[in-house]
Amino acid sequence: MMDFIQTTASSFISLIPVTLAQSFILSFVVLGIMIPFRMLSFPDLTSEGAFPLGGCVCGILLAAGVAPPLAIAVAFVVGLAAGCCTAIIHLRSGILMSTMLYSVNLGIMGKSNLSVFGSPTVFDWVPFTEAGFPASKIVVAGLLAVIVLIALNLYFKTEKGTAMRAVGSNPDMAEAQGINVWAATIGGVGIASAFSAAGGALMVQSQGFADVNMGIGILINGLAALMIGEAFTGKQTVLRQLLAPFVGSIIYYQLVSLCLAAGMPPPNLKLATGLFVLIMLALPSIRRSRGGAATRETIRE
Amino acid sequence: MLDIKSARKVFYKGQPDEKIALNGLTLSLKAGEFGVVIGSNGAGKSSMLNAISGALSLDSGQVLINGNDVTNMPVHKRAARLARVFQDPMKGTAASMTVGENMLLAELRGKSRGFRPGLNAARLAAYKERLAVLGLGLENRLDTKVELLSGGQRQSLSLIMAVGGSPDVLLLDEHTAALDPRTADIVMQATVRTVQALKLTTLMVTHNMQHAVDFGDSIIMLDAGRVHLEITGDGKRRITVPELIGHFAVKTDRMLLVS
Repeated sequence: MMDFIQTTASSFISLIPVTLAQSFILSFVVLGIMIPFRMLSFPDLTSEGAFPLGGCVCGILLAAGVAPPLAIAVAFVVGLAAGCCTAIIHLRSGILMSTMLYSVNLGIMGKSNLSVFGSPTVFDWVPFTEAGFPASKIVVAGLLAVIVLIALNLYFKTEKGTAMRAVGSNPDMAEAQGINVWAATIGGVGIASAFSAAGGALMVQSQGFADVNMGIGILINGLAALMIGEAFTGKQTVLRQLLAPFVGSIIYYQLVSLCLAAGMPPPNLKLATGLFVLIMLALPSIRRSRGGAATRETIRE
Repeated sequence: MLDIKSARKVFYKGQPDEKIALNGLTLSLKAGEFGVVIGSNGAGKSSMLNAISGALSLDSGQVLINGNDVTNMPVHKRAARLARVFQDPMKGTAASMTVGENMLLAELRGKSRGFRPGLNAARLAAYKERLAVLGLGLENRLDTKVELLSGGQRQSLSLIMAVGGSPDVLLLDEHTAALDPRTADIVMQATVRTVQALKLTTLMVTHNMQHAVDFGDSIIMLDAGRVHLEITGDGKRRITVPELIGHFAVKTDRMLLVS
């Protein structure tokens, strides 16, 4: 038993940097899930298709010798377009869009898997780190995450940003206050998908290959990360809500890494993800029922 | 100034449950006039308000605000000219946002929104002053989320939000019906004060006959989707609740209860 704990701990600790790099990259996808769900009350599932879309676009661009930052920028724009399409189709569900995007992604790459190993990436340019090692990825992805977080926090407090939040809070009221609900939804969902796609592009540069199937399960993982994040940060202010995807992503992928380190077979990870979400959903009511019991006791006294 | 010209709207057209909501309704309100709309359920009051606000598109007829045809204008564009307070206190405010943010949304109703910071010191000070008029202490709760306010406070906030920026037309949709009598009275007094002070062209729907008699310049009674009776001037000043109820084609218990 002691042995098990020791090996688990040592392999978990050795995995921390790699996992941290991965969670910073995937936090953009979690952000792309949070914005429609929380800021716009628009349950959007496009990320499942936008994430590999960004990856595939980045993959072929890298293979064609395009500069890595430009490849990410193009993936961002293509993701924006995909998100806008979802909102325009307005089926209140991007699952249709994700399905169609699968074919689009396959069409873009021409095959299901594309290796870009050895191509330059945005992670090569960090001073004092060796290219391809977790430290450079943590620095680049972490820096991007901080920049996006600050920019979004400023945006959602501007006149336009406040109007967008009103659309999510009460669409009828927003419309009565002269806000074009249609345009705000298209713009918001578009930006969200753009972040998912940018996450996909970063992922491809990090792992060295693009795959049409890289999006499978990303939505559920992202939602799990979001809920875990919200359990820690809360949702009371704009900043807390914006922090949730980043905090959640970091904690969630460390938990997954812990499961792997403990020797859990990868197919069981989905079960573990489900359990994490259930625990996070149950936590507030467990706390409340404890509080409730306490009050009942005081009343009895 | 508000004009509705032979507005017609039929729901479920051609189906067995076809319902004529507006049947050639024509109504005119002078600038600064305060009209009180009464009528039994199904008379077309809500359809009329929705047609004015743009939430309901007419089959035929026109809606004019200050002489401009707004019949085909979407809700969010009309919002620059008109403001509305709903019956449901939940409907008129964004619950998960703060009092200050709600005031900001209302202030920007008819204006273009930019990338400027939303709430700033000058705006917060102005909102404080405007909310202080109510005497409900809302001026000290600008950072409070609206969902934590009582129904009466929310409805008062909706009213202040609606009258800010002096809209060309103010629509009040039974806005005190969901409140307890004391709060309803506070909101009603605040309404009358602001409407008079700002000389707003106002259309108020109510089921309260006493309110219809006490407030406003004219009474407009709707029945079966058209104006059944209009009482203005001296007639309006002299009318009593029993007389008003006498004009209803169908008398319901509800009217007797509120009288």
